[in-house]
Amino acid sequence: MIDFKNVKKVYSNGVVALGGVDFHVDDGEFVFIVGHSGAGKSTLMKLLLREEIVTSGQVFVNNHDLTKMRNYKVPRYRRELGVVFQDFRLLPNKTVYENVAFAMRAVGTPAKKIRKRVPAILSTVNLYDKFDCFPSELSGGEKQRVALARALANNPKIIIADEPTGNIDPHMSMEIMNLLMKINRLDKTVIVVTHDQKLVDYFQKRVITLSDGKVVDDHVGGMFE
Amino acid sequence: MKKRYSLTYLIGESFKSLWRNGVMSLASVTVLMSCLIVIGGFVLIIFNINANVKNLGLMNEMVAFVDYKLTDEEIESIKTQINELDDVVEVIHVTKDEALEGLKENAGEFGDAYAELEGDENPLPDTFHVKYDDPSQASTIKYQLDHIEGIYKVNNRMQVAKTIDSIKNSISLVGIWFLGILLLVSIFVIVNTIKLAVFARRSEIEIMRYIGASGWFITLPFIFEGIIIGLLSSGVAYLIVWLIYRYIETNGMSGIDMITILPFSEINTVVLAGFVIIGVLTGIIGSCASLRKYLKA
Repeated sequence: MIDFKNVKKVYSNGVVALGGVDFHVDDGEFVFIVGHSGAGKSTLMKLLLREEIVTSGQVFVNNHDLTKMRNYKVPRYRRELGVVFQDFRLLPNKTVYENVAFAMRAVGTPAKKIRKRVPAILSTVNLYDKFDCFPSELSGGEKQRVALARALANNPKIIIADEPTGNIDPHMSMEIMNLLMKINRLDKTVIVVTHDQKLVDYFQKRVITLSDGKVVDDHVGGMFE
Repeated sequence: MKKRYSLTYLIGESFKSLWRNGVMSLASVTVLMSCLIVIGGFVLIIFNINANVKNLGLMNEMVAFVDYKLTDEEIESIKTQINELDDVVEVIHVTKDEALEGLKENAGEFGDAYAELEGDENPLPDTFHVKYDDPSQASTIKYQLDHIEGIYKVNNRMQVAKTIDSIKNSISLVGIWFLGILLLVSIFVIVNTIKLAVFARRSEIEIMRYIGASGWFITLPFIFEGIIIGLLSSGVAYLIVWLIYRYIETNGMSGIDMITILPFSEINTVVLAGFVIIGVLTGIIGSCASLRKYLKA
């Protein structure tokens, strides 16, 4: 569950990034967030990850009030989210397996459980046969699948993908989107920030359109201008 | 939920990082080590001054010289009078023959030169070594000794002891200043080493933060890195101090009988413990100073 209530965010240099945003996402929903650059998508992401705090208004995620969350509780909160970035952000000196295992080790998962779970997740993203490869040996699509596997590693309730297809050729983009759909069917909320119009039109899911820091459109179905 | 982070993994990361930042790690260890050696040097000097002050009996002891040509009974009566004084703990009577023996012994192979002074030719007076327990009464005791019939001179070694004490204090003061400045330099270098290590792993740290790794999981390898720097520095510093001290013990001061040098075995635990504590603390402080922002969230 994600709930934005009249969220305003003004940066210290005076830039108004979000000027009163309201929306609600139920558990298990699949939502595209679209908008031109500067529309406030990145700020929205940062608020969701509790990297930034709202200037006014409220953000609720899974019953946590992010506006009131203490700093020391942030790491535990982030474990309820799985994040995928446009530039993958894999560790170049670790293999596919280690990249996924690293995410589990970082939250204190016992080694035994890691050994069991990593192969299963790699199978989910169809990368089991590449477990021993380094990121440099993978295509863009494969890298993004590793990133997805890593986002899934700690079994989060919400997956947030920031331009997941931005650095990938169109054919591979479909594959990534299909994977995100598959993950959504596993009962996870999926938020995809993108400006790939074709994908949005193709999948016919809920679309929230941001412009100049405001929600200008929120409906199910493709189409965004 | 109880977390079980793998300690071997975290320490392994520290060693990897130290190795990757070879030059800076070496600089940290060298600076901290120099700092510890200087501290160690000052502490050892002060230990030895203390030991020598004690050995020479400079504290709480006076020597009273008795007039020549006194009869044994008169000398005996002087001893009784001194014994009756307040605060006097012990009176040792050193006869002139004993005093001459002492001189001969000190002269070693040239001792025979004193042979012709033996017997009636002995120019040395009988002396009383007066020990007392309260240093603040020293001047009173000296005054009383001066007024006993038959004592012509009282040597109060308090003055020497005081001088040595003030020398010791100035050495300590200089030592503390050195210590402070060098520790600051050490912390500064360690902070930079750790910052470089953090920079080298910034993408990893960013990912860890998004994944929800706790602050401790992120920072512990760097803190271990600081501890390892501290341990290495103290180990090497101890070795160097030990070698220098052993050299001085065997070669340097053996010619001077007046000065005794404490055997290293008597002080090595204090030195080692001090080095390890200061080294590790400096390492931890350095790491934490460069990691403040990551410890927050």
